[in-house]
Amino acid sequence: MRQRLGAWLALVLFATTALAGCGDSSKDPTTAPSDSAGITLTDMMGQTVTLSGPAQKVVSLTASDVEILYAIGAGDTVVGRGEFCDYPAEVLQVPAVQSGNDTNIEQIIALDPDLVVMGTMAQSQEQSDQLRQAGIAVLATDADDIASTYQAIELLGQATGRPSQAQAVVDQMRTTFADLSAQASARASQPKPTIYYEISPLEYGLWAAGRGTFMDEVGQLLQLDNIFGDLEGWAEVSQEQVLERQPDYILTVAMYFGEGPTPIESILSRQGWEQVPAVADDAILNLQQDELSRPGPRLAAGAQLLYDFVYGA
Amino acid sequence: MSELLSVRDLTVSYGDLTIVDRVSFSLSAGEWLMVVGPNGAGKSTIVSAISGGAPHRGRVSVLGRSLTSYKPSALARVMGVLAQRHNVGYAFTVEEVVRLGRYCHRRGVFAGSTSQDEAAIERAVAMTGLEPIWRQSVLTLSGGELQRTFLAQLFAQDPQALILDEPTNHLDLAYQEQVFDLISQWLKEPGRAVLSVVHDLSLARAYGSSALLLDRGRSVGSGPVSDTLSRQRLSQVYEMDVYAWMERMLSQWQEVVTL
Amino acid sequence: MAHARQRRGERGLARWAGQLVFPALALVVMVVAVSLGSVSVPLGQTVEALWRAATGQPQPDRMIASIIVSTRLPRVICAALIGAGLSVGGAAMQGLLKNPLADGSTLGVSGGAALGAVVAIAFGLTLPGLPFGSVMVMAMVFAFLSLVIIMGLAYRLDNSLSTNTIILLGVIFSMFVSSIVSLLITFSDDKIHSITFWLMGSLAGANLNQALALAGVLAVGATAIVACGRELNAFAVGEDNARQVGIDVRRIKVVVLVSVSALIGVCVAVGGSIAFVGLVTPHMVRLLVGPNHRRLLPASLFGGAAFLMLADLVARTVLSPRELPIGVVTSFIGAIFFLTIFWRARKGV
Repeated sequence: MRQRLGAWLALVLFATTALAGCGDSSKDPTTAPSDSAGITLTDMMGQTVTLSGPAQKVVSLTASDVEILYAIGAGDTVVGRGEFCDYPAEVLQVPAVQSGNDTNIEQIIALDPDLVVMGTMAQSQEQSDQLRQAGIAVLATDADDIASTYQAIELLGQATGRPSQAQAVVDQMRTTFADLSAQASARASQPKPTIYYEISPLEYGLWAAGRGTFMDEVGQLLQLDNIFGDLEGWAEVSQEQVLERQPDYILTVAMYFGEGPTPIESILSRQGWEQVPAVADDAILNLQQDELSRPGPRLAAGAQLLYDFVYGA
Repeated sequence: MSELLSVRDLTVSYGDLTIVDRVSFSLSAGEWLMVVGPNGAGKSTIVSAISGGAPHRGRVSVLGRSLTSYKPSALARVMGVLAQRHNVGYAFTVEEVVRLGRYCHRRGVFAGSTSQDEAAIERAVAMTGLEPIWRQSVLTLSGGELQRTFLAQLFAQDPQALILDEPTNHLDLAYQEQVFDLISQWLKEPGRAVLSVVHDLSLARAYGSSALLLDRGRSVGSGPVSDTLSRQRLSQVYEMDVYAWMERMLSQWQEVVTL
Repeated sequence: MAHARQRRGERGLARWAGQLVFPALALVVMVVAVSLGSVSVPLGQTVEALWRAATGQPQPDRMIASIIVSTRLPRVICAALIGAGLSVGGAAMQGLLKNPLADGSTLGVSGGAALGAVVAIAFGLTLPGLPFGSVMVMAMVFAFLSLVIIMGLAYRLDNSLSTNTIILLGVIFSMFVSSIVSLLITFSDDKIHSITFWLMGSLAGANLNQALALAGVLAVGATAIVACGRELNAFAVGEDNARQVGIDVRRIKVVVLVSVSALIGVCVAVGGSIAFVGLVTPHMVRLLVGPNHRRLLPASLFGGAAFLMLADLVARTVLSPRELPIGVVTSFIGAIFFLTIFWRARKGV
């Protein structure tokens, strides 16, 4: 199975790199002609971003954008990261700055970047205005599904002068998803297997991922039926509902700190859950590294993990 | 006469400020001791020291035993205190407040009231005439009714000595008379004694059997009322001729009578 | 007087009947709370599932059994016990301080308990054999320390313990404690999730072990408090009056404060900071049975159980399949009640 997939990937990679030269910039609104050394982009907030050349020193406040920069080979341009950016491991060597509500503009300016990448969820308009006034280009990403994740990757590729590498990453992701989706369609039972995405464990109140989340989108590609597909986004749900909806699989993203029962053990030991099919069959997956919650390149890897878990490697 | 309360060299000070300075006196059965003196003489401080509130030096003994050796409930069976003012927070009934007086006689945590309790309460209610307002919330009472309620609590408690801190200070004249008559009636039973702080020297003379005259924390004299509150001493302590003043006040009423 | 005694007798009987109202209410609410939930299960099946669980017979429908017996019942029991504990603790504080606005949440004691729990989580304190034990113990210890600090300051500032002093100190203390919690969160990277989720508090994971811990502390703490009914009456009339009728003022304070801390600590450790329960219930109950603590305390115990079971029922069902945090429900009701009480106290109505 893995070998066949690898062969597929190699083929697709070859095809996409060959095609990359031709480009299809016409359908991508973020690409602007870059005849001179300057780069002009429209970011995901619709703001125009002008750079004198490919960004050499980037501060990225959002974890997913840091992952994208490393994936497209622009890791060495990262001179600062938001405090919660933790992947890949080497990024931890990069100086951290406060992000979100506590964003410290002075900290960022002190790193002397020529580009700051920030997410629109955590950062405010005031913060980006302040940075622009300080003469620093600001690029906002706002990915809430797989398609806009591709857009963010392409945008960062252009900003750092690595459009082809970015395209390769996107194409690889597309291929993986298409491949997994096709295989899942062939193998999924009818009716579709049901799955429950657990965000926060019972002790703290159950939170589940509903419609419009990355987990739900990936699950749909894999022919999985989210038991909380009737809810929008993340939601605190009633334990009784999980027991009644009888999921075949459980994916938990609860963290494990090396003490007490692991997230899987704690689900297996919950009172009254023994009659839930996923618990009875020990069909619980624990993803602890945000594989399916960050709009970055690892979504594809997360999808692979989920596929292997449900349909077998 | 047996000694109920004996105070030797009582001193109360806050930091460098000495409020009560080596005051000694005693209280025996049948006695009504009036503690008098101008404002700031330390009258109320003496009451709060002997009723267990303020920290003090000197020796206070109750029935021959040191005050500090008493358990609170044992002390309450010997000595009851009536405060100047009462500010009740909740809508307790008169009955509930009066019944608290029996606390020091209870036998166990969940023990119900005994026939002795009921008898003591009935006597207290009969004396104070609280029957008509027995079920009323104390929040609805007048100042006089409230003071009578707490006096009834004290009577129900049935101690040997009453300690009163200006009990009628803020009451109308009719209530003053009522309260003092009630206390002198209570005092008629053998073995009882009263110590009261009073502001009004006429009340002290009218009801007291003995007096303790204070001036700026020091005892100026004690003994039978007429000796202690002599013309000379009062003039010295109050810095005016109190006797002449009282006579002038009284003459206001005599003129009315002669007319 | 004979007439009076007769009247007293009749009233006594009526009051005893009144005493049965609250346990009966709690029982009815418990039945309703167990039979209603996010998933609707017919009453007959609910009763059958419970009956079979009680008698150890096999369950015909395992899904319904797990919903009713393993999930809903422990949660309803925990809500009842927490409601009872917070309410009887609130009633005791209101009597002891002669202040109708005193309560674990207004005084900042719940905040102190939460700080204790966060310290236990942040420093990874554990008691061997008791996975959640250290959180409970630390919550209780910190609740007690908070009470000692708040009352120590209150007595020094204003011996009459006026409402303004108490409430202001409570607000200041709560802010102080929450700043320390924030500080701990900042410095404990790896535990940040545990702490923030714990602070959100939830009865969702309530289980029978927690119910047992609650029941144990409640049995000791509430008994100690109810046994102080007469003394609390005297304190509610005034602390000076309590001293004068012969109450060992210091001993009663220690007993009540230790009991209240234990109750608030264990309730906060299990359910998080559920605000206003200890304020609202004793007030509603006082309107019905009067201020006498010998009736007020037991009635608050059962009334509080009923109140929190109802609040939890609303939290569980109103947005089904979603859930509301229970604190949202109690704070909503509590804030309105708090304002009403404060208004009436200020306007002297």
